[in-house]
Amino acid sequence: MRSYRRHLFVLIILLFLAGSAAWAHKVNIFAYVDAGTVFTESYFPDGKPVINGTIEVRTTKGTIVLEGKTDEQGLFSFPLKEKQPLTIIIKASMGHTSKYILEQTDMSVSP
Amino acid sequence: MYLRRILSGAIFLVFIVATTKASNAHFGLILPSDGIISQSDNKSITLEAKFIHPMERQYMELTKPKRFGVFHRGKQIDLLPALQEAKGRGPEQSEESTFWETEYLIRRPGDYTFYLEPNPYWEPAEDSYIVHYTKVCVNAFGLEDGWSLPVGLETEIIPLTRPYGLWTNNLFTGQVLLNGKPSAFAEIEIEYLNDSSDNPSVVVPPSDPFITQVVKADANGIFSYAMPRAGWWGFAALNQADWKLPYEGEEKEVEIGAVYWVHATDMQ
Repeated sequence: MRSYRRHLFVLIILLFLAGSAAWAHKVNIFAYVDAGTVFTESYFPDGKPVINGTIEVRTTKGTIVLEGKTDEQGLFSFPLKEKQPLTIIIKASMGHTSKYILEQTDMSVSP
Repeated sequence: MYLRRILSGAIFLVFIVATTKASNAHFGLILPSDGIISQSDNKSITLEAKFIHPMERQYMELTKPKRFGVFHRGKQIDLLPALQEAKGRGPEQSEESTFWETEYLIRRPGDYTFYLEPNPYWEPAEDSYIVHYTKVCVNAFGLEDGWSLPVGLETEIIPLTRPYGLWTNNLFTGQVLLNGKPSAFAEIEIEYLNDSSDNPSVVVPPSDPFITQVVKADANGIFSYAMPRAGWWGFAALNQADWKLPYEGEEKEVEIGAVYWVHATDMQ
């Protein structure tokens, strides 16, 4: 009984830690177009890059156009083929995910 | 008898000058149209640069600043050429004063610390020049990477509390730097911007001490204040410069202020 309680206690603490870690580790993605290339940056709030995260590029209808992995700086880029709105999703470890919607207007603006 | 009347008149005048001075804290202001830029927000923000009495809604003349720029990801960008002259006045003012405004397009994630160094303002009531180095931080796209870094001004407030995403009643803590070093026991004047767009009704202070809140920094230049209302709050840490400026042939003191603006939002 005692060991069961201890396990429950540890479990609760772990759940608490996991919960707070999920908040503190909010994943962000930002994307922009420059000279026909879509550049993405994936990062945590403090600026640490999301390394080796999965990038999914989808049309507005949800069709996956492209998949890739972020590099050591959290970067991933790909050529812009059509000027159609895109949803770019970053999937980091432990189910942390975020998306950036690249509008058509973002595609004509050069930085 | 006559002398006594002059004397009492003079005392009355001194009293008026003294109380006016107490109730009128000067603040440099950089007011952005949005303090947190998210994906769905307008990425083009307007910035207004003013010299005001924030609680009393009074403008003072702001000549074209000496420096106006933005500090983003370790780089300083000069925005002085983009400033446009504008005129404004408070509801009880008859004459208009100059202020400055510009639009800025946020293109990348990160903290954007906008800063302003004005030309010295001559304040006859204080027999002193005033120079308020002013800062405000706008966050973009969830990257919170630069708000605690100094810009490198003669005097500036370094936030120890992240200066955005603050609830009403949050404690804002900052450190006052003077020439890059903590300014021990600096006096900080704090005012609410009565013209904040999210202020539900104009605040009418019941007496003068309510207009400007005053706190002292500790030995490390650190101060705190809890902001009791939604809207923009200005923190002005004041010091005497170790240099002087001439006014009509006489060397005069220069009050240098490190001003920082933060926004508080009601929990809903």
